[in-house]
Formats: sequence, C-alpha cells, structure tokens
Amino acid sequence: MGTEAPAEAGRTRAIESRRAITLILLGAFALSLFGVNWSDGVFRPRGLGAVGETLGAMFRPDLSPDLLSTAAAAAWQTAAYAVAGLTVALAIGIPLGVIASGTIARSRVGAVTQVGTTRAVLAFFRAIHELVWALLFVAALGLSPMAAVLALGIPYGGILGRIYAELLQDVPAAPLDALRRAGASEWRVFLFGRLPMALPDMLSYTFYRLECGIRSAAVLGWVGLGGLGFQVQIALEDLAYGRVWTFLWVLVVMVVLVDLWSSQVRRRIVP
Amino acid sequence: MSQAPLAAYPVGSRRPRLTFVSGSALVMVALMLSSWAYIAFGQSWPSHGFFSGETASRGWSFLRDLGGYGREGTPAYLDGGAWAEAGRLALTTLAMSVLAAGIAALGALLTFMFAARNVMLGELAPYRSPVWSAWFGIVRLAYALSRAVPELIWAMLLVFILSPGILPGALALAIHNFGILGKLSAEVVEGLDMRPARALRTSGAGRLQVIVYAILPAALPRFITYLFYRWEVIIRTTLVVGLVAAGGLGMEFRLALSHFHYTSVTLLLTWYLLLVLGVDLASAAMRRLAR
Repeated sequence: MGTEAPAEAGRTRAIESRRAITLILLGAFALSLFGVNWSDGVFRPRGLGAVGETLGAMFRPDLSPDLLSTAAAAAWQTAAYAVAGLTVALAIGIPLGVIASGTIARSRVGAVTQVGTTRAVLAFFRAIHELVWALLFVAALGLSPMAAVLALGIPYGGILGRIYAELLQDVPAAPLDALRRAGASEWRVFLFGRLPMALPDMLSYTFYRLECGIRSAAVLGWVGLGGLGFQVQIALEDLAYGRVWTFLWVLVVMVVLVDLWSSQVRRRIVP
Repeated sequence: MSQAPLAAYPVGSRRPRLTFVSGSALVMVALMLSSWAYIAFGQSWPSHGFFSGETASRGWSFLRDLGGYGREGTPAYLDGGAWAEAGRLALTTLAMSVLAAGIAALGALLTFMFAARNVMLGELAPYRSPVWSAWFGIVRLAYALSRAVPELIWAMLLVFILSPGILPGALALAIHNFGILGKLSAEVVEGLDMRPARALRTSGAGRLQVIVYAILPAALPRFITYLFYRWEVIIRTTLVVGLVAAGGLGMEFRLALSHFHYTSVTLLLTWYLLLVLGVDLASAAMRRLAR
C-alpha cells in the first residue's frame, strides 16, 4: 500500500498533464485560425486552376537536354554552397561547442562564465534563419559567394555547437573518473576520454546536418545567389511549371540520395 | 605450418582498411576541398574580392545604418507606434507558426501509422496485402517529397493558389513539416518495444485495438516532443515564408530592407528574436510537462 500510493499519484499527475497539453494544443490551434483572413476567400481567383497546373506539371517536367545541363550546374552549385557552409559551421561549432560544454574550464567560476557566454552566442547564431542571414549579408556586403557560405555556416555553426556541447556533457562519468585517478590532466581526460566517447554521435549528427544543408543551400538562391532555388524562382516568374518541377525533382533526388548516404553512414557509426 | 593462417589474418597490420565509413569520410573531405575550389575560382566575385578593407568598411557602415547613426529622424526602434505595429505583425507571425504546426501535426497523426514498417508490413500486419504495401510506399513517398522541397519553395508555389495572408505561409510550413514529423513518428513506432503489442495480440486483440491500446500510447509522448521541437524551427522559418507569402513580419522585413529603412530592420529583427526566444522557452516548458 505504502509503495503504491506515490505511483498512483504519479500516474494521476501524468494523466493531468496530458490533459493540459491536449487542451493547450487544441486551444492554440483554434486561436490561430482567427489569424487567417477567411472573409476574402481562401483561394485566389483562378487559384484552383493553378493547383491543377502545378500538380499536373509534377508528372510532366521539362526534360530537354539544355535544361538538364542547367539543372546539373545549379545542383552542383547548391551542393558546393552546402558543403562549404558546413565547413564554416564546423569551424564555429567545434571550438564553441567544446567551450560551451564547460568540460575544459579550469575553475568553477570560469566554467559558468564560459558556458553562459558561448551558449548565448550560439543561441543568437541559430535564432536567425539562414535566409535572413543571407539577406543581411547581401544588404551589407553585396552579392558574393561568401555571403551564401557565411549565411549557411553561422546558423549551422550555432546548431552544431549546441548539440556538440550536449553530447560532450552526456558522456558516462565512470571512465573519466578512472582517467582522473590514473593522474590524467583535465585536458587529457577530455582528449582521451570525453571526446572519443562523444565522437560517433557528433559525426552522426554532422552528417544529418549535411542533408539539411542541401535544402537550405537551395533556398539561398532566392536572394540571387544562384543554385536550384534561383532557377525555380526564374521558372516560376515565367509560369513555366514544367521547368519548375525539373529543378524540384533534381532537388528531391539530391536530398534523397544524401539522406540515404547519411543514414547509411550514421547507422554504421552509431548502431 | 602455421604460416598460412597467420598470413590470412594480418594481425598488427598498420594499413587502415577502407570501410564504408572511412570511405565516406574521404568523399566528404574531397567534397569540401572541391566545393571551396569551385567557390574560389568558379564563381563571379565582386571586383574588390571578399577578404578586403572594402568588405570591412561596408559591413561597418551597414551596422551603423542598422543603429541609425548619421540619419535624421527618430530611429524606428525608439518609436512607440512602430513597436506596436511590429508587435501586431509579430502576433500574426506567431499565429502562422501555430497554424502551421497544427496542420502538420494533424496530417502526420492521420498518416504516420501507415508509414511504420512493423505495422504495415512486419509483425503487426496480419497478412501480406499488396494494397497495404502500396499504401505504405505512397505515404513514405509523400513524406520524402514534402520534406525534400524547402518551405520557401512551397510558399512560392502556394502564393499562386491561395489569397495572400498567413494561410499560404502556414500551409507551406505545414507541408514541409508534415514530411519531417511523419517520418520521425514512423521511426518512433518502428523502434518501439513490441512486447505490449504482442501481449495484446496473443490475448486476442485485433490490429486496430493493438494500435490504439499499445502503439499509440507509447508513441504519442515522443510525437508531442518532436512537435514542439519542430515548432521552434517553424517560428524561425515564418519570417522566411513571409518574405514571399505576404504574412507577418517577413514581408515588412523585405520591404524595409529594399527601401533602406534600416532602423525598421533593427526593430523587426528585435521582434523576430523575441518571438524565437519566447517560443523556445514555451516549447521547453511544454516538453517538460509532456515528459
């Protein structure tokens, strides 16, 4: 009896919090419906016709050789931006992530200030979407490939840094203690204990971000930086849905291939 | 005599073996090098290059513009009326993010069971039916297609179809996140402990009963967690779909940038950051409640 009562209380609490979540979710969704301007009609005049055209073109992409070579060039440009952006993200995420994990600080006060400031910087980097960074960079520095690379690298660096910090913290403590008792300095504990244990998960997550990076790089084209998104935009301005879907299918195939590659790699690194 | 087996197992061989993972790492390094080479030599650069004093001075003057130094008139971020106006837009943007998360969640909830291999094709499928297999494939394909196309591109397509406002933006966000949520939830179902389902099965429950009483209760908490994580991503992206879909802060942001109203840009960015921070905090609180 004595052991059942707390379990019972815990279960009731769980049911209550589930009810609360359900109510909050439904209430928020209902409220958000008031934000839509229903009075003007949901569809544009002739908008429904555009649905048919858009969806119909999905199965009839324009496959002329000229367009396909344009698509291949745009795909390579998008991939290059994604990969170069990821290197910038690594250059930001690895050092800041290690500091933000608070595992290499010498003193307690040092740890708190280091963790606080780096976490704030990382949070700021990833709070702003890559396309917003791109707009700002283009407004500030003009159209240049570096604007695309930095726009991708900064928010991705913020995400990688945060995840790396968490992974480095979540390592089991016993092996680290063993190293410490054997006389290893904090640096060695980090290099030979913490890092090797966290590395598979860190690599796995990095590969996952590559997949996201391809999609994000495609979007960067919208601000005039080239790539698949730019081509989609041009084709849409001509209302050439067939061409739109050529580029979209290339993007889908590329994302699915990278997805397969990264999931195969991740399955082998972290079973 | 023992030479042959020893040669077959090169113990202590220093040559690293080429595995799928190490091969992938090499491919990755090669991709990084060729990407940078392409960006450095295969792209058109502004005449002053990038790593130059010109870039630094442009960046500095952009920051001064954002602060409104050397401009006449009150900067927008010190103007109460402009704050209130941008706040109204921020509220619309918040509504857009909730609407998007809601539609994506509804879509994913209705379909993710059909995308779980163990439910449709594996252990929980009572018989092999080509109809169910085909339906499994169709749902998986829909997830892949909807999440491979970025939100902004969905928004670019949808503005031709829907009247301007938060709906096209919300729907664009919803379509993309439907694919992500659906895939993640299906993977949760595939990774579930199957023993409760088996226990129900052996006591005579049908497939629907097993799903409702064993699978859903175990999968839903994870689904809710993912939903809140996606909400954090969605709020960051609302600004981006708003750029083309005319809803919320995004359109104003674009106009302010193209009209060089840089102090308004600062104000809108401040509201955007406040929204992101607020949603991150709310999502963390809700995820704690769900646990």
